[in-house]
Amino acid sequence: MRRLIGLMLPLFLALGLTLACAGASAQNYPSRPIRLVVPYPPGGPLDIMARAIGQKLTEAWSQPVVVDNRAGAGGNIGADLVAKSPADGYTLLMGAVATHAINPTLYGKLPYDPVKDFTPVALVAQVPNILVVNPSVPAKSVKELIEFARARPGHLNFGSGSTGSTGHLAGELFKTMAGVQMVHIPYKGGAPAMADLLAGQVQLMFDNLANALPNVRAGRLRALAVTTLARSPAMPDLPTIAESGLPGFDLTTWFGLMVPAGTPPEIVLKLNQEIVRALNAKDMRERLDKMGTEPPANNTPEHFAAFIRTEAAKYAKVVKDSGAKVE
Amino acid sequence: MDFALFHNLSIGFGVALSLQNLMYCFIGVLLGTLIGVLPGIGPVATIAMLLPVTFNLSPISALIMLAGIYYGAQYGGSTTAILVNLPGESSSVITCLDGYQMARQGRAGPALAIAAMASFFAGTVATVVIALFAPPLAEVALKFGPAEYFSLMVLGLVGATVLAHGSLVKAIAMTILGLLLGLIGTDVNSGIARFSFGLSELSDGIGFVIVAMGVFGFAEIVSNLEQGASRDVFVNKVTGLMPTWKDLKSSSGAILRGTALGSMLGILPGGGALLSSFAAYTLEKKIGDTSMFGKGEIRGVAAPESANNAGAQTSFIPLLTLGIPSNPVMALMIGAMMIQGIAPGPQVMTERPELFWGMIASMWIGNLMLVILNLPLIGMWVKLLTVPYRLLYPSILLFCCVGVYSLSNQPFDVMLTALFGLIGYVFVKLECEPAPLILGFILGPLMEENLRRAMLLSRGDASVFFTKPISGVLLGIAILLLLITLAPAVRKTREVAFQE
Repeated sequence: MRRLIGLMLPLFLALGLTLACAGASAQNYPSRPIRLVVPYPPGGPLDIMARAIGQKLTEAWSQPVVVDNRAGAGGNIGADLVAKSPADGYTLLMGAVATHAINPTLYGKLPYDPVKDFTPVALVAQVPNILVVNPSVPAKSVKELIEFARARPGHLNFGSGSTGSTGHLAGELFKTMAGVQMVHIPYKGGAPAMADLLAGQVQLMFDNLANALPNVRAGRLRALAVTTLARSPAMPDLPTIAESGLPGFDLTTWFGLMVPAGTPPEIVLKLNQEIVRALNAKDMRERLDKMGTEPPANNTPEHFAAFIRTEAAKYAKVVKDSGAKVE
Repeated sequence: MDFALFHNLSIGFGVALSLQNLMYCFIGVLLGTLIGVLPGIGPVATIAMLLPVTFNLSPISALIMLAGIYYGAQYGGSTTAILVNLPGESSSVITCLDGYQMARQGRAGPALAIAAMASFFAGTVATVVIALFAPPLAEVALKFGPAEYFSLMVLGLVGATVLAHGSLVKAIAMTILGLLLGLIGTDVNSGIARFSFGLSELSDGIGFVIVAMGVFGFAEIVSNLEQGASRDVFVNKVTGLMPTWKDLKSSSGAILRGTALGSMLGILPGGGALLSSFAAYTLEKKIGDTSMFGKGEIRGVAAPESANNAGAQTSFIPLLTLGIPSNPVMALMIGAMMIQGIAPGPQVMTERPELFWGMIASMWIGNLMLVILNLPLIGMWVKLLTVPYRLLYPSILLFCCVGVYSLSNQPFDVMLTALFGLIGYVFVKLECEPAPLILGFILGPLMEENLRRAMLLSRGDASVFFTKPISGVLLGIAILLLLITLAPAVRKTREVAFQE
C-alpha cells in the first residue's frame, strides 16, 4: 500500500502541476513583451492607431507592446511574417482591407492564406473614403459629376495612392456602376496624389476622410459624398454615394488586429476584451472621431471574421471587374 | 505687413523661448546630430520610434523636437561623409566627394567647420524665407506638375555628367548603370515587379542607403586596406582645425549660391531637397577656378552643405501651408500632428498661429544650437582619425551593418550592402566614379514615373513637355548644358582629325 501511494503521489503531483501550468499560460498572458507587426511604413493612420492601441495595452498589462514596421509588397511582407509566427499570442498583426480582402485577388499568388493562417481578434476602425473634386470641375453633387463625366468620356482623371488601393478600387467601382469612363492615375502614396489634385492635374480622388478634410474646410477642394453606406459622423451633411444615385455603393478602408491561426481561444478573447475597452476610452474615441469614424459596434472575434469574409468576396468581384493586377 | 510679421515673430519666439521648448529643441538637435553621424539609422527611423513619446507632449513641443531631429541629422551626416567617406544621409553624398579628399590632405578640421558654418547660414536664411514667403512659395510648388518634374530631372541628369572629373564616357556609363539599378522594384502604373528575381525583398527596390553605403563606404574601406599604412597623411599633415581667411573668402560665394538653390528646390515635394546638394555642386563646378574640384576644393563642401540644409528647412513649407509632406520625414510629422489632433492643412497658419510661428522661431534657435554644438566637436572628430586604422575600420563596418539592418530588420539588406561594397571596389579599380551612379539611381525612377504620368495626363501627346512654359524652359537649359558639355569633346576630336 505504501509503495502504491509512493508511486501515485508524484504522478498526481506532476499531473496537477501540468494542469495548473496549462491554465496559467492563458492566465499569465502576457508574461513577456508583445510584438505588433504593422505592414506599412511608420506615420500613416494605420500605424498611428497601432501605436495608440499598443500604448493602451502596455498600460493595461504592464508588458511592453512594441510596434514593428515591416512595409513592402502592399502589406504582404508583414502579413506573411505573422502568418508564419508561433501561435502563442505574442505576435500580433494589424491587418487591413488590403492584406486580407484586396490582395488575395489583386496578386496572383500570396505567400500566406488570409483565411487559414489567421485568427481575427478585433476590428479597430472602419474609415470612410470621401469623393473630392478640384473646384475646376463644375459639379456640386454626385449626380452632376456623373452627367459631366458622361458628356466627356475619357476626359476626367482620378488619382489614387497606389494600384489596388481602396481609393483606386472605389474609382473603378464608381466607373462600373455609373457607366462613365475616367482615367486612373496611380501615385506612390496619397500625398503626391493630393498635391496633384490641388494643382488640378487630376480632377477627382477618393481619398480617406482625415487626409482630405483640411483642404475641404479651406475651400481648396469640394467634397461630394462619402463612400460608406451610412453617413459619417464627422460630416453629417455630406451624402453617401449610395443615396446619390448608385445604391449599394459601399467601400471603406478598415484595419484590425489578428493573430496566427491556432492561438488559444482564451488569449484571443483576452486580447479582444482589452482592445474593445481601449477603443472606447475617451482619447481613442476622439482620435477615431477625427478620422471620421467611431468604435465598431458588436466587436467580437467571430463578427470580425464574418466581416472579413464578406469583404473578401466583395473585393474579389471589384478587383476582377476593374482588371487591376499586381505581380 | 511688416507689423504683422513682427507680431507673428514675437508670438513665435515667445513660444519657442520657453524653457520647456528650449529643452526639447536641444534634445531634438542633439539626437539628430547623433543619428546623422551614425550611418544607416536616420531621422525616419528615429522619429518613428519617438512618436509614442510625443503622445504625452504638448503639440508644439513635440513638433519642435521632431523637427530638430530632422535638420540636426543634416549636420551630423556631413561629419561621416568628410571623415570616412560614408554618407550618413542621402544629402551628404556630394559632401563625400571633396570633403573626404580634404580630410585625406589633413584638412578635415576646416572641412567640418565650413560645413557647419555653411549649414548655419543656409538654415537661418531659409527660416527667414519660410517666415516671409511660405504661402506664395507653396503656390509655386503646386505649379510643378509631372511634366515640369520630368524636365527638372532631365536637367539634373545632364548635370550628373559634370559631377565626374574624369572621363566623360565613364560618367555617362555610370549614370546609365544607376538608372538601371533604380528600375528594380514594382512599377507604379502596372503593378508589375521588375528585376526582383522573385525575391519579395527586392519588390520595392533597393534602398538608397544600401547602395550609397556599399559603393562609397565599404569600397573605400576595402581599397584603404589594400593600400596598407598610407593613412598617416590624415594625421601628420593636420594644418589646423579652423578654416583660413582664404577658405572663408572663396566659400562665401558658394554658400550664397547653395542657399539660394537649396531654398528653391526644397519646396518641391518629392525629392527637391535631395536634388539641391547635387545642383549646388554642379553649379559651383561651372564657376571660377574648377581645377581643384574632386581633389579637396572647399567650395565643393560649402555649396552642397548650405544647399541641403536650406532644402531641409524649406521642405517644411508644403507641410505647414498645404498639409502635403515632401518626404517620408514630413509624412511622420503629419502623423505626429494627427496624434495631437491637429489636422495639417491650410488653416494651421490661421487657426493655430502659435504652432506655425513657434516652429519657425525654434528652427532658427535649433540652427544656432547646432553650430554651437558642432564647432567645438571638430577637435574631437579630428582626434578620432588618429585611431589606428586596424581598430577604426571594424567599428565603422559594425556601425554600418547595424545601421543598414535597422532600416527594415532584414539581414538581406546587409548582404546586399556588402555586394555593393564589392561592386564599388571594382569601380575604384576601373577608375569609375560612383557619384553619377548615385544620381542616376535616384533620378531614374523619378524621371520614369513623371514621364509616364505626364504622358497619361496628356493622353500620349509628347509635345506637352515643350508647350508647358516651366517645363519647356527647363528642357531648353538642359539641351544648352548638354551642348556646352559636349562641344569641347567634339572640338578635340575635330582637332585630332585635322592633325591627321
